[in-house]
Amino acid sequence: MPVIQTEDLTKRFPATTALDRLTIDVEPGVVGLVGANGAGKSTLIKVLLGLSPATSGTARVFGLDVTKDGPAIRERVGYMPEHDCLPGDVSATEFVVHMARMSGLPADAARERTADTLRHVGLYEERYRPIGGYSTGMKQRVKLAQALVHDPEIVMLDEPTNGLDPVGRDEMLLLIRRIWAEFGITVLVTSHLLGELERISDHVVVVDGGQLLRSSSTSEFTRTSQFLAIEVSAETDAVADALTAAGLTVKRDGHLLELSLDDDETYDVVRDTVAAQGVGLIRLEQRRHHISEVFGEDQE
Amino acid sequence: MNGTVVRLTYRALLGGRRAWLLLAMSVLLLAMAVLLRLTVGVDHQVTADFLGAVAVAALVPLFGLIVGTGVIGPEIDDGSVVYLLSKPISRPRIILSKFAVAATGTVLFAAVPTFVAGLVMSGTAGRIALGFGVAALVASIAYSAIFLLLAVVTRHAVVYGLAYALIWEGLLGSFVPGARTLSVQQWSLSLTEAIATRDLVSSDVRLAVAGVLLAVVIVGATWYAGQRLRVLSLAGEE
Amino acid sequence: MSRPMPNPPSGVIHDIGYRKYDGPRLGRRQVTRALFAQSLRGAYGLGRSARAKVLPMLLLGVMCLPAFIITVIANVTSSITGELPLAYSRYAVVTQGILTIFVAAQAPASLSRDLRFKTVPLYFSRPLERSDYVLAKFAGLATALFLLLTAPLLIMYVGALLAEFPVGRETGDVLLALVGAAVFAVVFAGVGLVIASLTPRRGLGVAAIITVFALSFAAVSALQGIIRYEVGNADLAGWLGLLSPITLVDGFQSWVLDASSSAVAPPPGDAGGVVYVLVTFAVIGACWALLNLRYRKVSVS
Repeated sequence: MPVIQTEDLTKRFPATTALDRLTIDVEPGVVGLVGANGAGKSTLIKVLLGLSPATSGTARVFGLDVTKDGPAIRERVGYMPEHDCLPGDVSATEFVVHMARMSGLPADAARERTADTLRHVGLYEERYRPIGGYSTGMKQRVKLAQALVHDPEIVMLDEPTNGLDPVGRDEMLLLIRRIWAEFGITVLVTSHLLGELERISDHVVVVDGGQLLRSSSTSEFTRTSQFLAIEVSAETDAVADALTAAGLTVKRDGHLLELSLDDDETYDVVRDTVAAQGVGLIRLEQRRHHISEVFGEDQE
Repeated sequence: MNGTVVRLTYRALLGGRRAWLLLAMSVLLLAMAVLLRLTVGVDHQVTADFLGAVAVAALVPLFGLIVGTGVIGPEIDDGSVVYLLSKPISRPRIILSKFAVAATGTVLFAAVPTFVAGLVMSGTAGRIALGFGVAALVASIAYSAIFLLLAVVTRHAVVYGLAYALIWEGLLGSFVPGARTLSVQQWSLSLTEAIATRDLVSSDVRLAVAGVLLAVVIVGATWYAGQRLRVLSLAGEE
Repeated sequence: MSRPMPNPPSGVIHDIGYRKYDGPRLGRRQVTRALFAQSLRGAYGLGRSARAKVLPMLLLGVMCLPAFIITVIANVTSSITGELPLAYSRYAVVTQGILTIFVAAQAPASLSRDLRFKTVPLYFSRPLERSDYVLAKFAGLATALFLLLTAPLLIMYVGALLAEFPVGRETGDVLLALVGAAVFAVVFAGVGLVIASLTPRRGLGVAAIITVFALSFAAVSALQGIIRYEVGNADLAGWLGLLSPITLVDGFQSWVLDASSSAVAPPPGDAGGVVYVLVTFAVIGACWALLNLRYRKVSVS
């Protein structure tokens, strides 16, 4: 049963249209919501949480209508906003305990689960210091902790890797994958960085200007394509000409050459042509699709 | 003084909710003056009581507080003072520029309306309007300096400033005679006493003493604020 | 639960296993009550940093100090005077400066923090409704103010009993004063919170609240004094009392509870008294409505 379902969801602001007749179905798992800044990703989350009323269309979470059953939905949802939202003068423990109680947990359960959750997100001694002194990575973990502490059925993470260094980014992505794989909580993640969502999502929804560009499973997106990429040690142009003369469609991509893989014979043609040119073959690999191509495709 | 700092501070002070509050206060004072003139007619004792109790005792200190802390408080609070401190402008110069803005702002929005209110209520008779206008002028400058210093020294400048204005000058002033010698209000009222020809206002402090103390406070507070800005630390909250 | 390693690897995610939560999930009312308790404690700096406790506790002390002095005086002069030197119901007006500072400092502390750090969306993405948030904050601050007013009254009451003043009379008076204190608390909290909700800047919120309370009181009582004594129009002076929160509630309690008034001019006649009551309740209602409106419009970045 789809966890999130929208139909013709539209949200108009005086100056822009943030969501434009968006219709999507989200099954349990990790769902990546991809789009450029301003594409409507944060707005969608706010509409689903009942924080912002839609102009028209319907949206359902767990089968409940967002406009009528808001409180029931919010009991089972965790939200990690994109912007800074942590007070500077309390410690992580105090803050997450307070948020747990605001989600309806009794005081003892709140304290217990806070300790557990902070451990799961990787905050140890730091949790007793005021949040004002935390690094960005630690602050993101606190934000994630308050979204998880009440054991929701789905968490909505808005740009969780914002402001993190590459190592922090990897850790966060791993953590997000664990939330589904081990904790069994569905995750809706937004990002404008397409590459990272490829790594952790089961399903990707691509939006642009409030409209749905594409919605399919990640494996579909990144299936191996019928392209070959080669890199030669020198005289790339000469090699390219020779391969074209041999009947292959060649495209130059920086220092790589991309050829269409018609059949197994292509490998032989490549090997022979490169050898004939007297240069070395450094790389020969099958190209995979990237999500960014979706944007390219639909702009033609 | 640095022209850019002055300009930026002015814009920050007057662009926003603070400006509305200040304007409302000035308008309120003038409205009350008009109301009294219409209901009471011209009664110099009334003028003196009103301007003393409302303008000099309440409006001017509050103005000095809002403006004095407002020219630097928000910057320190959200940390953007860092940009200012990292420029090649000496700290005392920064303080002097901000003080200039605070003093002019308070004079324009509190002292001038006080003078105008006095004119509305009593005309030019007995130099009452002038007397209170000058008192408000001097008090404005003094309060601006004091509260600017407070804003540099502590994050809670507003609350401490209020405590000073209400408790020291208000409560204690009525019960402890000695405290009145150290009250900005009393110093400025001594100026009114000297200027106004009628015997409507009396101050517990002699004019010469008041003058000296005012000068000391204004110069001293501004200088000390400059020194404190040199060692300003932007650590944490509360 | 601290790990004893000197340099815990920050990237290691420990495989302790995730536990589902099957326990009770409390409804809106209990969550609101939890937020109320937190706001109330926060008003006295409890549950915050040590420095946050200084001001409210200091104010509480200063608030109770005159009560102690009055108690001592009453006990010393009990044979001569037979009553407290200051009536219970006048205490709030006499110590209004302290009350005002408390509201001015703590109303922004309660609201501006959530607005400034943009924590509000985290609240509303939970089962808490916006009106619950407002109710919890309003009730929290009002209760804090009520406690601030009640402490000295109780001290005076105990002192009066020790001085062996008539129990019935003292009990009646103190109870009336407590009702008045409740109204003071609600009105002050309401006005203070409305002003605080207008700005995320704490300093400005404090200054604005003080200005509204202190300036209105200074202006109104000065005008009242002039119009009553120098013009001779006691009724007009009485009507002016509606324009400042302090004189409004003082007028309310002096007419409804027959309490001794500290104002320059009381509500003019019975018509005036009724108007005072209506305006008091209207102010409370308006504050409630304005706060709800403000949080409906909270922009979630």
